[in-house]
Amino acid sequence: MNLQPDDFWTFSQWLLRPGAFLESALLQGIVLVLLAILLGLLVAYVISAAHYGPGEGFYAVARSIRDFLTVDLPGTSPRRIMALAHLAFKEAIRRRILFVIGLFVVILLLAGWFLNPDSDDPARLYISFVLTATNYLVLALALFISAFSLPQDIENRTIYTIVTKPVRASEIVLGRMLGFVAVGTVMLVPMGLASYIFVKRGLDHTHLEAVEAEQVNGQIVGETDRVRNHSHEFTIEDGETQGLTAIVRGHRHVVTRDGDKFTIGDPVGQLRARIPSYGEIQFYDRSGEAKEEGIDVGAERLAGGYGNAGISRLIGVTGGTRKLEHSYVEGGTLGMAEFTFSNVTPKRYPDGIPIDLSVRAYRSYKGDIESGIRGSLTMKNPDTGAESNPIAFVVNEYQIDERTLPLEIEGTDANGETRLLNVYDDLVNDDSQMQILLRCLDRSQYLGVTKSGLYLRPAESSFEWNLTKAYISLWLQMTMIIAFGVMFSTFLSGPVAMVATAVCVLMGFSAESIYDTRHFIDTNVSRGGGPIESLVRLVKQDAMTTQLDVEGVANTLIKSADAMIVYTMDAVATALPNLPRMMATAEYAASGIDIFGAVLARHCVATLGYCILAFLISYFFLKSREIAA
Amino acid sequence: MDNDSTTVTDSVEGTPRSNDAAGENVNTAPTAGGTSRSGGSSSDVVIETRNLSKIYKDFWGRKKVHALKSLDIEVRKGEIFGLLGPNGSGKSTTIKLILGLLFPTSGRVLVFDKDATETKKNELIGYLPEESYLYQFLNAEETLDFYGRLFDMSGRQRKQRIEELLSLVGLQGARHRQLREYSKGMRRRVGLAQALINDPDLILLDEPTTGLDPIGIREMKDLILALRDQGKTVLLCSHQLGDVQDVCDRVAILHQGELKELGRVTDLLKVKDITEVHASQLSDAAKQEIVDVIARHGGQLQSIDNPTATMEELFLNIVRESEARPGARRVSATPQDESVVDESQSESQPESPSESQSGSNK
Repeated sequence: MNLQPDDFWTFSQWLLRPGAFLESALLQGIVLVLLAILLGLLVAYVISAAHYGPGEGFYAVARSIRDFLTVDLPGTSPRRIMALAHLAFKEAIRRRILFVIGLFVVILLLAGWFLNPDSDDPARLYISFVLTATNYLVLALALFISAFSLPQDIENRTIYTIVTKPVRASEIVLGRMLGFVAVGTVMLVPMGLASYIFVKRGLDHTHLEAVEAEQVNGQIVGETDRVRNHSHEFTIEDGETQGLTAIVRGHRHVVTRDGDKFTIGDPVGQLRARIPSYGEIQFYDRSGEAKEEGIDVGAERLAGGYGNAGISRLIGVTGGTRKLEHSYVEGGTLGMAEFTFSNVTPKRYPDGIPIDLSVRAYRSYKGDIESGIRGSLTMKNPDTGAESNPIAFVVNEYQIDERTLPLEIEGTDANGETRLLNVYDDLVNDDSQMQILLRCLDRSQYLGVTKSGLYLRPAESSFEWNLTKAYISLWLQMTMIIAFGVMFSTFLSGPVAMVATAVCVLMGFSAESIYDTRHFIDTNVSRGGGPIESLVRLVKQDAMTTQLDVEGVANTLIKSADAMIVYTMDAVATALPNLPRMMATAEYAASGIDIFGAVLARHCVATLGYCILAFLISYFFLKSREIAA
Repeated sequence: MDNDSTTVTDSVEGTPRSNDAAGENVNTAPTAGGTSRSGGSSSDVVIETRNLSKIYKDFWGRKKVHALKSLDIEVRKGEIFGLLGPNGSGKSTTIKLILGLLFPTSGRVLVFDKDATETKKNELIGYLPEESYLYQFLNAEETLDFYGRLFDMSGRQRKQRIEELLSLVGLQGARHRQLREYSKGMRRRVGLAQALINDPDLILLDEPTTGLDPIGIREMKDLILALRDQGKTVLLCSHQLGDVQDVCDRVAILHQGELKELGRVTDLLKVKDITEVHASQLSDAAKQEIVDVIARHGGQLQSIDNPTATMEELFLNIVRESEARPGARRVSATPQDESVVDESQSESQPESPSESQSGSNK
């Protein structure tokens, strides 16, 4: 899993962006609310001025705001909201939406045939499948239940008996939202449980026997049989009856010896939630000069990676992509990547320092294809310069390579003497900082890392809780969509409201592509252009990286129309919730990394913000609407 | 008609026929009556429309229908006010404007001295829509409980009120059945019950008797009268003239969005040049004598006859009897001889002659 810069932000960094306030989420929220209020006032005034004349129109708008603040908001009654929520809940249940759970179970049953547990990383496959399936299903469901309810009530006129009671528009809106969120919750919980069982059962396997086991120096060394395309080597120490297998595909088994028979237990450690402790990364080039980045081995920065730039995007301060891609270190030179970790204390790492590596290899020549590229890790005291001897490893690409660095290791101390070093005494400085140097050992081969490629692992969280967090993130997305659906349904008919919500969702999902398109227009890069240019290219069968083959005025016309469309879409997409970011939490769970509290917290706050926005807009639309018209 | 039981609160002003006839049975006449429009003290006026107009427009703002043209009416506390008119005359539009379901194109509606669009006024209002637009998947008890919650009533209050209302509308037996299984009449009753859940001061009934059987109609009418007797104000709109005639104190007749007539029912319907006498146990000789008396005074005898009962009475009597003696089958060989036209006990019997007279009058 490759984390992007804003994944590392703490909650307050995200909210306030010290040093770059234009990018702050808080500012974006405030601007959105202000914009909504201003636009709302403007539109309301224009409409009521057309109705009642300019003076009376102003009075009408002022009155409705006064009503909102003095009557409706304070008069909002929890009992009424709950009654309406309960009704919305019952209504949705009456529409048999619970069948969707059945559908989900069927999908899981069928998926059992198609998901291959023999693949390299079955846990990732299974987890990301269940999360993606749940995500799309729940979002589609939220779209349907939220967009159709209110228009249907207006059409059936059941709303008449409600709005003629002392019910505020705010209560109707809030009641609906809460009711549907409750429905969604009721759906999500069994889906989550089913997913958990599915993943757990799908990954469960056991090896039946040890195919070869022999006594070597008192130890028993053997190998299990091949199940699901893999086997484990194992060792049992002298005199012991139990031993552990090696980790293959992210799991290991317990082997129990009973005379000549070996029984092999269930897989352990397949479903993880590692809590990482990331360090700061610094690259050095081949001559040992400090560099911001390592070597770029190819165009990996094609798409996306704009992240949360807030309104600084809109006004064009932050233009380009900020995607973190793998930076490479050249082998056999002074080039290296230096990670500085804080908070390295005996309390956190009492018996060895657990470290996870996910490093990529880039071969500039084939070399020895059997053995893989070799790298080394060196622990270093950032202040004194004391260094341990390098610990060599072979790159295990596309997997998390778990190692434990020893607490006692040979090395060179601050005075240049070679002796046995203690990590906490010699290699960690007074601020509990330690550096780890990553080098590539093979000449002219390259190792690629990002900041998230090497981390210490002080603790583990439970997989169940991590999955729950992924589901909470899903729940937040659902809540957001319900809020939008209800908002649109206060002034649009059912199908139109659904389409409008779907457009918002799709724009949110494809925000990064929109940003890309804008970025290419801004930087004058030919990459297909905006919608009109793309259409022209499609018809003319032009490649997307060539110059647009249209002359003169037509060219200018196409380009400027495109720019206008793309800039508008960019603005809208910036204003919309960034759903892909929220969906990315599934990636954490699938990669076995504990979802950061800060990430979840900011999703929560963003959801709350958008819900409040949708609520305000809904209220004013419903209030100003002639229900019986 | 129910003249003796009616309590007419007020005389009517501003209409052509009302001035000379101060009804015989006016019990209370709080205002001077019939002179100035603003005669009623403002606390007494429950609904007031001022120059109320409504134009339905399409999406582009083009005018489609001029549904209501400068309507001015006042509904006073404690009266039953009928809005009368053919289909499409603006009755429902008026009610919706009063409820704030529609916004006036021009003019104003004041309900309890508040603008009709304010939600607060709804605390004192009960509304029975044209058809009972209720949630089909709820049962009667859940429905009433739901609407009770909308009035922010406490659990205990709701429980008590639901019991009262269910027995009032006679649905105790069906309280746990979903509304989708209900007959039209039963839905109507639930609709009525939900309209009364908050013990409203003002009750708006849109076509209260449509879809009801004769018993239901009778009960509805009795209920409306009972509500009035409790001091509540009732505004109903209907094109069932019978309803309006039986229960309304005052009516407004709308046609094509314009107010055509406004006044007390007794006044509007009074046929002044015809006298009506009802008597029982008269011998033929006595009848002849009466005829002679009329002739002597230069009157013109139009008819002297035994009244026929209305179908409604017949029906109600049959039901009443069958409830008293279940299973017995009534042989309707000569209905007149049996209790159907029991002149001494049938209260509403005079209806038929009056109808025949008003018919001949026109």
